[in-house]
Amino acid sequence: MTALTAIRRAETAPELAHELNGILHLLTCGSVDDGKSTLIGRLLWDASDLYEDQRETLERSGRTAGGSTHPDFSLLVDGLVAEREQGITIDVAWRYFDTETRRFVIIDSPGHEQYTRNMASGASHADVAIMLVDARHGVKRQTRRHAAILDIVGVKRVILAVNKMDLVDWSQERFRAIESDFRELTLRFGFREAIAIPVSAVTGDNVARGSDAMPWYSGPHLLEHLEELPARDTTPTGPFRMPVQMVLRDGIDFRGLAGTVSSGCVCVGDRVTDALSGASAHVLCIVTMGRDLEIASQGQAVALQLDTDIDVARGAVLSVPDSKPTVATKLEASLVWLWETPFDPRAGYLLRTATDLTPISALTITSLLDLETLAAQPAQTCTVNDIALAGITLGRPVAIDTFGANPATGSFLIVDAVSGATVAGGVVTSAHNGAEKTSGATFQLTREMLQKGLCRDLGESEDERREFQRRANEAALLLHAAGIPVKLEL
Amino acid sequence: MTAPFSHLDLLEAEAIHIFREAAAQFRKPVLLYSIGKDSTVLLHIARKAFWPQKPPFPLLHIDTTWKFKDMIAFRDKTARELGLELIVHVNEEGLKRGFNPFDYAPSVYTDVMKTQPLKEALDKYGFDAAFGGARRDEEGSRAKERVFSFRSPGHRWDPRRQRPEMWNLLNGRLGVGETVRVFPLSNWTEKDVWRYIAREGLDVVPLYFAARRPTITRGGQLLVLDDDRLPLQEGETPQMKEVRFRTLGCWPLTAAVLSSATDIHAVVAETLSARTSERQGRLIDHDQSGAMERKKQEGYF
Repeated sequence: MTALTAIRRAETAPELAHELNGILHLLTCGSVDDGKSTLIGRLLWDASDLYEDQRETLERSGRTAGGSTHPDFSLLVDGLVAEREQGITIDVAWRYFDTETRRFVIIDSPGHEQYTRNMASGASHADVAIMLVDARHGVKRQTRRHAAILDIVGVKRVILAVNKMDLVDWSQERFRAIESDFRELTLRFGFREAIAIPVSAVTGDNVARGSDAMPWYSGPHLLEHLEELPARDTTPTGPFRMPVQMVLRDGIDFRGLAGTVSSGCVCVGDRVTDALSGASAHVLCIVTMGRDLEIASQGQAVALQLDTDIDVARGAVLSVPDSKPTVATKLEASLVWLWETPFDPRAGYLLRTATDLTPISALTITSLLDLETLAAQPAQTCTVNDIALAGITLGRPVAIDTFGANPATGSFLIVDAVSGATVAGGVVTSAHNGAEKTSGATFQLTREMLQKGLCRDLGESEDERREFQRRANEAALLLHAAGIPVKLEL
Repeated sequence: MTAPFSHLDLLEAEAIHIFREAAAQFRKPVLLYSIGKDSTVLLHIARKAFWPQKPPFPLLHIDTTWKFKDMIAFRDKTARELGLELIVHVNEEGLKRGFNPFDYAPSVYTDVMKTQPLKEALDKYGFDAAFGGARRDEEGSRAKERVFSFRSPGHRWDPRRQRPEMWNLLNGRLGVGETVRVFPLSNWTEKDVWRYIAREGLDVVPLYFAARRPTITRGGQLLVLDDDRLPLQEGETPQMKEVRFRTLGCWPLTAAVLSSATDIHAVVAETLSARTSERQGRLIDHDQSGAMERKKQEGYF
């Protein structure tokens, strides 16, 4: 075999069609000023297999900055003409690139305050978020706002990219100060991992390669860190859940419940329950085209054939009998208002959960989250980009989980019944059946408890009594938000 | 199964999920079948999503009458073998008036022979949802496309009316006069499409494989002559060259590439090491800057 045929053989070998191990969804948040588009562009430029026609377009657009010419990396990501003309990134944009072993999905979201909704919707798809700050300005209120949004929609891993290190003379001192602010900030949230990396998107330092300019930094560069992160968790965790999308039929014999396993796994022979009707049956067969499966795990799209025909339709959530979702008519939730039209208590709204659509009989905004101070301010209404705590009463029961316990069956959209618009997206913090007596599970927050701690500095004056009431409400709201049903006994 | 899923498994499961959500939520969906590799993957996943049932919707092909003969043969064979209803729609008026891809600017031709008849067909049959194989990685303005892409009455795409999509919740409740385009392959790349075709052993139009074909070079692009309707310019003499296509459309508007990849594995290998993006071969996109965005606002897929 000549060398040439050997190469040819290798080029056409089937294993070249290799599949990548997992997908990492990466949210980038920050504003134009922080150099976000440049950072993503640099990542694509250095780390991915950009096509030559794309490279040429960029090199032609080269901009001269500080004596040297760099391609304008931001052109790789600023998509729509309207946006390019305005020089800002409005909508969430999706980019894809592969390294040797991994698919990266970059979810590029705008950072400005007027686009909180875009960021929240982008973040809901992310496994990890890069928060971008300018090294000259450090952690700002915007960074706090971003962290709060990420926390609410369930992002567990965050990276602070301290950009433009070249403009602060690669100063370790500067970086350490920002890093320490960041640590303090992230401790307030439920992140599983938070790391700060000093980078320069323009020069490429610590983006897809190390940095000679910053020998004092011994941590991983950005791409290195991203490649080491665990990809989307597809190992089954949590109890089995499968929201039923539709019923498939074939002839008189086949009735299959089609859906994607949203958590845990199910095996042939397992007993499954529909929480809404209370009916149970055993799994007879797990059907997919080509072959039947013995087990279906989180993330797999299958059809389940049961041994007895229980009356289950779209909207049902199949589970194991000993760990069912809650059948609820009352929900407490955090939500982000996504639509230009503000909340209107007289409007008709619907709740879209995994596969169910339920009329909302009452939607009550109880407070707005001040993203600056992270405190809840009592409120009755909300509008676009607001993050609100709300109570939802449903016209009929729905099978649902809390987001903390089970994200896929604990998140929802609020839909305008007339226009069909998605007006809000949210997470369930507590779910209960309105008819139930909740006394057993409800936490009683009493005057004595507050006097001992939170309010011990308060006396009996009018102002102090008001402050006492405010703190009590605040504590109750926070407990509510954390998913703990609470009753104030004052 | 304990092995972690590969990215193709995840993409396939996501596409099945989207198909089922759309079929459950919309009254009368249709699958826009354009015969190419993306449509091939789209149709295969549609079959998986509803198995053992047949996909609960017909296929719709907007025929400009300028598709390669091999494409039409492949289309008819596919529909026949799978036992699916195939609707073929042609803009007869445009045809009578002689709109063709070489006397008219690509943007005008595409509007008359593709965009208008697509809207016509959707209205004629009352389809409220149309599945398409568009991918976000194809072009700049598609990078922001939703999985459920809403169209106002008149099929116009208004960026401000698009709904935010969170988690994997898909809201398909339509307002008055609204319709929707559904893109189950949103998160796929060109490479994934080929890897998947290889993995699943799918049949594709033979034009994707290299063969000696009659070609001319025009405007720096290699065109394959599928019949004698394209008037040759001075100095153009057809030459036999070993070429294949990365993307398929109307033959006078789709450029071929020199290649010796004659089977699926060679095509995958070539795709994985490609140095230019596939849309390079689509003459329509070079017509004007922001071409795709404009076409989309006018109702193009």
